[in-house]
Amino acid sequence: MPIRYFIAILAFSSIFFAVNTQASLKLPATVKVDPAALEFEPMCDPKISPSWRKAQVIEGVKIEASEQCSPDNPHLIAAVVKGTNNVSMDTLMKSGLSPDAIIKTDDIDGDGDPDRITIKLEIIELNGRTPDFEGVIPTFDIAPGIQPGAWVFAPKTSGMSTENFESLRANSLLRLPSPVIRVEVGDIVQIVLENTHYFPHTIHLHGVDHPFSHHEYNGGKYGNDGVPQTSEINLMPGERRVYEIQPRQPGTMFYHCHVQTHTHLAMGLAGMIIVEENRPNNWLQTLNVGGGKVRHPSVAIKEQFDQEYDLQYHAMDKELHEIIQKYNDPRLIARDMNRRYDLTDSTEDYFTLNGLSFPYTLRESMIIAEPNQKIKLRMLNSGGEMVAIHTHGHKATITHYDGVEHNPAAQITRDVFDMAPAQRLDLTLNTTNDGLHNYGEGAWLFHDHREKGITTDGMSEGGSMSMIAYKSYLNELGLPKVAHGIDLSVFFTKEYYQRRIPIWQDLDQTSSLGAAGVRSGMDSETRTTMLNLVSGFLVGILIYLVIARRQQAKAAMTSAISRLKGLKGSKAND
Amino acid sequence: MTKHFFILLLGMIALSSYALAQETTDQSSHQSTEHDHSDHDMNDKDHDHGDHSDHADHTDHTDHTGHDMDHSAHDHDAHDHSGMAHGDDHMMDAPGDHSELHGDGETHTGHHGDHHHHHDDGHIMDHEGSMIMGQNFDKLPSSCTSISEEIEITVRAGTKFAKKFPGTTFAFDNQEWRVKPCSKITWHFINEDNIRHQFMMHGLPRYLYHLGMFHLESTGPRKISGTMIVPAGDETYLVHCDIAQHMEKGMKAQLVVGNGGEDLTSIPGLTPYVLNDKYETEDLPKVADKDDDTGKDKDTITKQVTDFFNENIPFSGMAWIGILFGIICAPMFTRMIALRKKEEPDASS
Repeated sequence: MPIRYFIAILAFSSIFFAVNTQASLKLPATVKVDPAALEFEPMCDPKISPSWRKAQVIEGVKIEASEQCSPDNPHLIAAVVKGTNNVSMDTLMKSGLSPDAIIKTDDIDGDGDPDRITIKLEIIELNGRTPDFEGVIPTFDIAPGIQPGAWVFAPKTSGMSTENFESLRANSLLRLPSPVIRVEVGDIVQIVLENTHYFPHTIHLHGVDHPFSHHEYNGGKYGNDGVPQTSEINLMPGERRVYEIQPRQPGTMFYHCHVQTHTHLAMGLAGMIIVEENRPNNWLQTLNVGGGKVRHPSVAIKEQFDQEYDLQYHAMDKELHEIIQKYNDPRLIARDMNRRYDLTDSTEDYFTLNGLSFPYTLRESMIIAEPNQKIKLRMLNSGGEMVAIHTHGHKATITHYDGVEHNPAAQITRDVFDMAPAQRLDLTLNTTNDGLHNYGEGAWLFHDHREKGITTDGMSEGGSMSMIAYKSYLNELGLPKVAHGIDLSVFFTKEYYQRRIPIWQDLDQTSSLGAAGVRSGMDSETRTTMLNLVSGFLVGILIYLVIARRQQAKAAMTSAISRLKGLKGSKAND
Repeated sequence: MTKHFFILLLGMIALSSYALAQETTDQSSHQSTEHDHSDHDMNDKDHDHGDHSDHADHTDHTDHTGHDMDHSAHDHDAHDHSGMAHGDDHMMDAPGDHSELHGDGETHTGHHGDHHHHHDDGHIMDHEGSMIMGQNFDKLPSSCTSISEEIEITVRAGTKFAKKFPGTTFAFDNQEWRVKPCSKITWHFINEDNIRHQFMMHGLPRYLYHLGMFHLESTGPRKISGTMIVPAGDETYLVHCDIAQHMEKGMKAQLVVGNGGEDLTSIPGLTPYVLNDKYETEDLPKVADKDDDTGKDKDTITKQVTDFFNENIPFSGMAWIGILFGIICAPMFTRMIALRKKEEPDASS
């Protein structure tokens, strides 16, 4: 009876395996991601009025056109050019600045522009923790769905830090990178740091002509170099400090926090400060929030160039930027940042140009060119490693290193620009189509040629990549017109950077390089598991049979033995 | 059986330590509420309205969006930056800071409101760096038939008020104010830091207050006043500073009208956080002989948590677990011994 069962099981399993082998001959079909399953962000931020792009005059301030799909707010530009103390309340309100953010007074040299400039900076945390809900506030996405915790020097603003009470998004003045500051040679500049953050901070004016300390301000307690070990005490939360300079040399410089610099700089407390040459009637755009195109360039720049762009390259290690999102207690954040985080074991994950990664760089950090232009590019590398910026379709000329002009006869024209950390380069981009400086119009990439620099946490396309786009290659939104059949919209989805979209699924009709589905039958691993299970089962039954039928087996054995014995006996008897 | 006991025991201990930690929070909240009542001061009643004439020349620029703005260009000229002529050691600043230097840290924008109160959703901002939104002197909420009482409340804001709440950076001097329904409240907001702070209230009826907000903002160390009328319903309103991380790091309070509504979360010393940080003992260097002194400065909650696992204290948390365990298990042991003794003679017989 049990033997019959045993045979039945054996038969079943052999059939089962045969069927399975049959199924495994056919490979699984391609699975395509339906675009309807994706959350597409608008490629252009719909909240920004298209009227901001036009060339215009506000409060007597000439503002150049900016074809980008996210141009700078022209009211903000007017307010920072005139000073918040010299504009109408209407312009001030539209700028979002605090009434005391930029104070401009006293034409000391009588050349038609103000020479005493006060610039107030606050310190704002982006994508920080809240004890009230899971999530971060105020949010600032560097790419779709990418929200690293960050700190920035921000212009002193007015009102809420979010867009409104219902929104978690940071208001447009609170963003990466720290704003580009512009001052004139000879100006008496006071940069007032108001520490609105929960950690101590300072400002170090890297490369800018500044005295080590100034005028015994507050009894010599506060220095001017920003270094807590040598120049001054830490600036604690709720306090403010004045850094005073009267620079004698022009150039592209750098400012950053010098408290726990190894983390505070990477957190985003780093920006460009540019000292412009002294010229009559030189009302400067004191802040270029978000960098990029300077819509009110200085007199000296306008003498030589058609356009000017500020380009800050930065890099972030994901693990560092997560710390402020892990805890609410500042003591625990301090513990992890100061004592547990090990920069020497870190890797950079996010690469930004003017605070954003591709595709958001296309919204506001493209260089928009026309043929036969001379364009001034000011570059800073505030990341922790060397960068190698390559310009497609162009060779540009390095005119200044770290703000100092290079011997004009020895200036180098090339297409890869390497910058050590903290280094600045001034480039002249000449768009004359001569086969050397430019190879013609187009939507040409410019990107870091360390390949990780074109990724966002290893996912390409991302990173600090942007474009030199000619006007003839721009669509009505100010985005690059790309070849027919190419769709950039997929980059404007969170799912892309969550690595959930097979990027080659739409290359051909059959989706030959799309995502592979799963086998209809069992995969080999499951099959092995099942095989083991079944064979184990069989062995188990065998053992059961042996034990349960012990008596029978014994009887059989004894009878067999006795039969054998009988045989022997009979033999012996014979 | 023993396993059940052990689980029960662990559960008890976990609960009790949590309760202890909570208790300390409650204590501090009691303190603050006491403080609160004593501090409902109205010391600014003597505000005279005589200086209105100084501001008679304030011009109104009416904004197209419906905000009213008080742009005091003349005022600005009057204050000027005379300080700058005195030398570079002086900080060049907005006129507002000037008045501060001269010992007059008060912004009179609140009184300007008297001139503006007929405007809807008064959004007043001046070049001294003060902003008032949602000022309301006389418009009764529909739920009120009359104003129940007129009170003045002074609120101070600054890092110094966070000192009593470990793990915070910014705070108001009080975390809760209680008022009668339909009260007309004049808030005197005093910023005691050298940075910007806000007194922002949310959830008010939108037909009276633009976006349901009443908002006082001061760009630096000075006082700003504004008036509003609360509705009749029992409700608890959020008061906070909306500068990034100021509320998260302590600058949060609530206004309780009547019996109030539901408590808000994460108000320092008053209500628990929704999301709590995990604290752990650190291997910090210690002066071994002065162990008794080291714990002194620690805040109570952290001390609770760290001391619990501290091996150096004679009666640490773990020792207490042992004692508790012993007490509960003792009867079991005696029983077991008794049982065994009973069994033994049985076996022998």
